[in-house]
Amino acid sequence: MTRVGRIATEASAAARSFLRRRTAVFFTFFFPVILVLIFGALVQTQPTGGGLFAEPAGYYIPGYLAVVVLFTPLSRVGSEIARHRDGGRFEKLATTPISRGEWLLAHTLVNVAIIGAASLLILALVVVVTDAEPVVSPALAALPVFVAVAVALFCGLGALLGALADSQDGVIAASNTVALPLLFLSETFVSPSLLPEWFLPAVAASPLTYFARGTRAIVYEPGPWLGDLAVLSVLALAFLALGAAAVPRTD
Amino acid sequence: MNETAAASASAAEDGEPDRAGGGAADAVAATDSDPVVVGEGVRKSYGEVVALDGVDIRVEPGEVFGLIGPNGAGKTTLVRALTGTTEAEGDLRVFGAPPREVDPQRIGLLPQAFDPPERLTASELVEYYGGLYDAARDVESVLRDVGMADDADAWYETLSGGQKRRTCVATAIVNDPDLLFLDEPTTGIDPAGRRSIHRLIERLADGGTTVFLTSHAMDEVERLADRVALLRDGAVVAVGPPDELIAEHGGEPSLEVALDGPASEGDVEAVREAVREAVREALSDESTESARAGEGEAEKASGRAEKASASKDAPAVESTREGLRIGGVRPEGIGDAVDALEAAGVDFESLAWSEPSLEDVYLRLTGEEYSPRSGEFGETAPDGGDR
Repeated sequence: MTRVGRIATEASAAARSFLRRRTAVFFTFFFPVILVLIFGALVQTQPTGGGLFAEPAGYYIPGYLAVVVLFTPLSRVGSEIARHRDGGRFEKLATTPISRGEWLLAHTLVNVAIIGAASLLILALVVVVTDAEPVVSPALAALPVFVAVAVALFCGLGALLGALADSQDGVIAASNTVALPLLFLSETFVSPSLLPEWFLPAVAASPLTYFARGTRAIVYEPGPWLGDLAVLSVLALAFLALGAAAVPRTD
Repeated sequence: MNETAAASASAAEDGEPDRAGGGAADAVAATDSDPVVVGEGVRKSYGEVVALDGVDIRVEPGEVFGLIGPNGAGKTTLVRALTGTTEAEGDLRVFGAPPREVDPQRIGLLPQAFDPPERLTASELVEYYGGLYDAARDVESVLRDVGMADDADAWYETLSGGQKRRTCVATAIVNDPDLLFLDEPTTGIDPAGRRSIHRLIERLADGGTTVFLTSHAMDEVERLADRVALLRDGAVVAVGPPDELIAEHGGEPSLEVALDGPASEGDVEAVREAVREAVREALSDESTESARAGEGEAEKASGRAEKASASKDAPAVESTREGLRIGGVRPEGIGDAVDALEAAGVDFESLAWSEPSLEDVYLRLTGEEYSPRSGEFGETAPDGGDR
């Protein structure tokens, strides 16, 4: 079996296993839907020009996408690692030819597919329930690339959390603790102008910031995005490598 | 997961020489007659707890090697050390290579606690694990081997405990391994299922597969294993073929005499005296026979009779919950024992003769010997064994 074959085998099993868990599938897609409905349709933009949602609706498209790009891989990969560890699956896999990197890559591919579908749903919903009008340009073709690269990055981070946490509960708590600050402090829903000057370096240090900036430059405010994609890609490779190394092999 | 193997596979795909280094090369160089598994001075600690304390072990090609021992003795840790899923000190070699450098195609593992991915059918699970190898057996034939062909399309979580375990066994043999580690393969399996696993192990062994089996089912190990090692407190205290272990550590055959309750001290003493007399007579008869053969033999037989008569331990008669137990009774001595019971005036309901088994060896060497008087297991000083 070639490396590609092993990755395909692992990805196929992981995808089937996920798609047959109806509750997991439902909430994976329902979560971003309810978020868009609440913040896009119910809360809406503050009409007086102040407050949290003061920007035009299109500004928040990266934020809605970031919700699934960030939360879903973190919790899914982290939980998968916890489940594998609890079920002795890594012990078994350690005696097969698949490597840790191949395993993580396979699960990353599954997440890219799932989150890609969820992102499409979000885009459609944003257009339908808000007055956002995404910019249609050739650059729009790079949007799936941003999503895929960001998902890979957070799959790597999820693997790290899954390896460090000692239980599924621990993984969920850890991923929420990491994801919530990242989500709101990465130029997604909160613009930099609302943050103190001294905190801006922290915003620049967040990987999600580059996803938000790049996707905003594509769908809302046309501008350069290649630099953001480059930074995101380098970080994704680094996190995937770290995550693969962290995937348990032994007890 | 197997980094070295993946590197090897990758190298092969790229047309490069094997990069697994000495390990894989050694494995190739190992001859068919070399031991499949060698462990010398294997040690492993979890903090203050010593799991393996200098284990020496050797498994020959085609052998079914049984590993028994109480909970916490270190069986699973040893399996993990041998499969490279835990780090251990000492010299460990599998097919002549360190465990992590062995070609995974040659190894099959059923971990003790194993819960495969959910929402996959038995067939899909076997296909999944088979898909990770360079070559895999046909899924249907593997499921047939473990008696799961009729339930191939059932989701794993809907299977019974025994069916689940059999499916897990199937995932361990799908790559047709040369060395199969089965860590308690029949836990939770009903007798029919166990029998199908036993037959499978026998077939695999007949086909040349080396099987490393851990189990708490002593009858299973006694039936299947060519050699058995008993682990206690992280050390091997006895190793050898089951028959030899039983002969050395299992004690003597015994006759269980069912009365209408525990025998009184008087009954026990009367039977003991009657059995002693029967032994004396038997040896006296032997002495007479020997006298015809020669004077020296007669003297020896006479000496044995005197010793038997004088020794308080000669007839091991004990009261049990159901009646009493006469130790050291061989099949040809059952008639004498019955005579002794009648001579002692003991009315019995039934007799049951039993040979020592691997379970007796286990109980003696682990210090958990059964007490016939109380009908309970208790902590006793274990036999020293050959630690």
